[in-house]
Amino acid sequence: MGLRRTFAVGLLLLLGATRPAAAQHLLLPMDDGQRNHLKAYGVTYQALKNGQKAEWLLNYRGGAFLLPDVADLRRRAALDGVTVEPLTDADVAAARAEIAGGNMDAVVLERAPKIAIYRPVDQPPWDDAVTLALTYAGIEFTSVWDDAVLKGDLAKFDWVHLHHEDFTGQYNKLYLAYRDAPWFVAQRERDLSTGRQFGKADVPALKKAVADGIRGFVDRGGFLFAMCGATESLDLSIAALLVDIAGPFSDGTPPAPDADAKLDWTRTLAFTGAHIEPSPYVNALSDIDGHQVNVPSRRQPLGAFSLFGFSAKLDPVATMLVQNHRTVVPDFYGVTTSFNRAIVKPGVTVLAQEEGAPWSKYLHGDYGKGSWTFLGGHDPEDPQHAIGSPPTDLSLHPTSPGYRLILNNVLFPAAKKKPRKT
Amino acid sequence: MTNRWRRGLWRGWWAISVGVHAGTAAASARAQGAGGDALQRAMEAEDASDRARAAAAYKDVLQQALVVGSTDGNRIAIALLGLERVWAEAGALDSMVPVARRVLQLRPTDPTAHTVHLRTLVTLGRDDEARAAFTMWRRVTGTDGAPYREYARLLMQQGRALAADSLLSDAARLLGAGGALSGETAQLHVSLGRWQAAALAFRDALQDQPWLETAALFGLQRAPVAARDSIRGVLLADPPRLLPRRLLASLEFAWSEPRRAWQAIATLPADDSATASWRTFGERAEMNESWLVARDAWTAVFERTNDLESQRRAAEAALRAGDAAGALALLARRSKGGDDAARRRALLPIEIAALGEVGRVADAQRALDAERARLDDGTRAALARPLVGAWLRAGDLARAKVAMDGTDLADDDEIAGALALYEGDLVTARKRLVRAATQRPELVDALGILARTRLDQSLGIGQAFQLLAKRDSAGAAARFTRLADSVGTAAPALLAQAARLSSATAAMPLWARIVQDHAKSPEAPESLLAWARVLRDRGDTAGAVARLEQLLIGYSDSALAPQARRELERLKGTVPPR
Repeated sequence: MGLRRTFAVGLLLLLGATRPAAAQHLLLPMDDGQRNHLKAYGVTYQALKNGQKAEWLLNYRGGAFLLPDVADLRRRAALDGVTVEPLTDADVAAARAEIAGGNMDAVVLERAPKIAIYRPVDQPPWDDAVTLALTYAGIEFTSVWDDAVLKGDLAKFDWVHLHHEDFTGQYNKLYLAYRDAPWFVAQRERDLSTGRQFGKADVPALKKAVADGIRGFVDRGGFLFAMCGATESLDLSIAALLVDIAGPFSDGTPPAPDADAKLDWTRTLAFTGAHIEPSPYVNALSDIDGHQVNVPSRRQPLGAFSLFGFSAKLDPVATMLVQNHRTVVPDFYGVTTSFNRAIVKPGVTVLAQEEGAPWSKYLHGDYGKGSWTFLGGHDPEDPQHAIGSPPTDLSLHPTSPGYRLILNNVLFPAAKKKPRKT
Repeated sequence: MTNRWRRGLWRGWWAISVGVHAGTAAASARAQGAGGDALQRAMEAEDASDRARAAAAYKDVLQQALVVGSTDGNRIAIALLGLERVWAEAGALDSMVPVARRVLQLRPTDPTAHTVHLRTLVTLGRDDEARAAFTMWRRVTGTDGAPYREYARLLMQQGRALAADSLLSDAARLLGAGGALSGETAQLHVSLGRWQAAALAFRDALQDQPWLETAALFGLQRAPVAARDSIRGVLLADPPRLLPRRLLASLEFAWSEPRRAWQAIATLPADDSATASWRTFGERAEMNESWLVARDAWTAVFERTNDLESQRRAAEAALRAGDAAGALALLARRSKGGDDAARRRALLPIEIAALGEVGRVADAQRALDAERARLDDGTRAALARPLVGAWLRAGDLARAKVAMDGTDLADDDEIAGALALYEGDLVTARKRLVRAATQRPELVDALGILARTRLDQSLGIGQAFQLLAKRDSAGAAARFTRLADSVGTAAPALLAQAARLSSATAAMPLWARIVQDHAKSPEAPESLLAWARVLRDRGDTAGAVARLEQLLIGYSDSALAPQARRELERLKGTVPPR
């Protein structure tokens, strides 16, 4: 009996030694070994949506993802051109040992976040970097617009994205140049109609109510990601809830003469003490933006911004938001390109900034029970984007480091909360 | 932008807008004594970016020139434009308004003062005052279109196309439609996407302003496909006029419609201007390799001029277009100009090649033999080449070899390789064709097949390529398909070749056979991609997606995977449409 058991064990060992070990895991490397970084986020999202477990290996191979080795994920990765590496349990154990010994950590991703993008429902998806990125990566989202926000529909979502909307209701002061353009006329008509529906007399009043709804969403525990002009105008609108800061072209009256002094910065997310730009002829809302691309006499040239490094084990949220295979990323213009550091609230985490410049590019902070992230600029792969520019084709930029920052934000709400170690 | 450059630009604009050409500002300044010094000072200060000093000096110039009854409009204009530049750069453009108004009090019809006044108010966004300034200008100029033109341009520059539209409608009502403002009206219609109206306006404008032809081309070529027929209708309207028709021809070329481009100008009355247009068109069609329309254009030129040059170009274009019979018909006609030797040099190579193409190889041989005594060695050798090629394509390998006698064509890798291929000597064919820089499609295809088979001899493959050379693609496809079972590992290459020669419907079973029976061959992913494209074009999106996914899953390392992925992304709508 003992001999037979020994033989059986020996046979098993022999078989184990001669047959290749089957993989149990798929590693999606996110360093330069990855062929399509952007779609790797989509494959990970797909795993979460299927109810599978995923891990984000922070600072390990560019912020790699660890997924179970199942047929549908392999298939999706092959279709998307995403590089995968099959790993055995032993390989994973070795990786975990390496992670434990360095500034790295493994964060469990629990479930696919419910995503909303603040955009008109009938708008084609090609003029908003986040919509472009999610569409390309195959990550599902729902479009919500003013009426949905005012009806409280944001509560249905984990994560909301805003792009270049002007929440002060001044259409980014494009009124002078584009007031007769058919798209501008249609946009204004649509907003006035929504305003009437909700008892708002003009577009600034409507947008203030929407901005306050978004603020409430974050306050109650939502995740907000804003880019371009939405960052600056959201905070201005929140600060100006009880003050008229809009030019006469938008609400029929000039801004309050002492508007600056009446702004209430206690309710805002990121900024404090900014000064509004009262002239309707100067194409800027305030001094929050460091680059002021639409004011020729103030415009600052584009440089490159550097991502900060954080402690993966102590500060996993900030670490997630800066996972990248590049630490220096070329800058890109937007209605709001960057954020003057002098008016960023204390306690806000600066995730990226330009070396030697007085502005930051990428901010994160907590607000109430939720959190928010602001990224300046319009389109990371179209640095000089202008109205009417052709849409960016992300299949030509599958490894874009700028777009990775956007997609980091999409997955970060999926992370399981860990008790803070400090 | 440097000050100097910008000033040059503004000066240029000013010269156009007010029509004063009294020499350069500097020359004018030097000619004006003490006042001239002020102007020179102003311009030097502006060049040195000393805006305050420049503004003060320009104001001095104005003060000196602005005496009642002054006729020195040139200096006033220069000073006004200088002040406008300086104050715009200093962010003090609003200072310009009272100065312009002061000038207008003393010189109520001064066009530069009106222009600067209006432009300043529009730039500052003082719309009500701008409208009043325009009205004031219009009142003093009567039926002159200048105020309308200037105001409309400013509004369009501001992106206020609808406001410009109202203005130009007023102008049409008060001054008569079209006329001096038809160019601006046309540009306005373009900016509003009113393509038919834009075409009408440009057609009218071209009558008096032929220089607008290029602007019209750039404006109208952006018209979407759905709007192009309406543009065609306008520009083709009777009576046929050269400029609208020539504009349409250029547009059709830009829209990749060379046949329609030729039709636009083909029906013009045959006069010298039309002939010049046809000649230009023929050259453009040649550059575009649109050989059929090049043939037609040069034939039209030849009909009118009967010269040797247009005859040669018409025949050569016909031959390149695959119309060898048409080339021969053209060559049979007698043109004027050029002696017999020149005619021989120009036309005999085309004649021999054309006779070979239509299968009249014996006639080609006779034509060459008849002229042989009058040809030098180099010309004879050059003419033997198309003849040998023609014999080869006719399948008469013996006559091809005879035609090679006395030439060095046996050393020509393409000729020798083709000869060996058609004889089934695959070893020699492989060796010679690899060295040949051939562009003949059947020989390029042959190289692909030869690279896939280790056979030394195959009469069947030789005959299949001969059928291809005779342009019997259906016969060649059938032959390649039959041969597939007998050539071992080259089978998928032969099947793929047969699929390429077949219609889409006939190709699909061949692709399916390659994918099923030769899944590991390089032709398998190629077949899947071609199959998916056919299905996509037939509207079978699900079928196309399935083939592309099969390619990406089964052949993820294939060089075709990126193309397949891109097409899959387009089908699924994850990237912007083309």
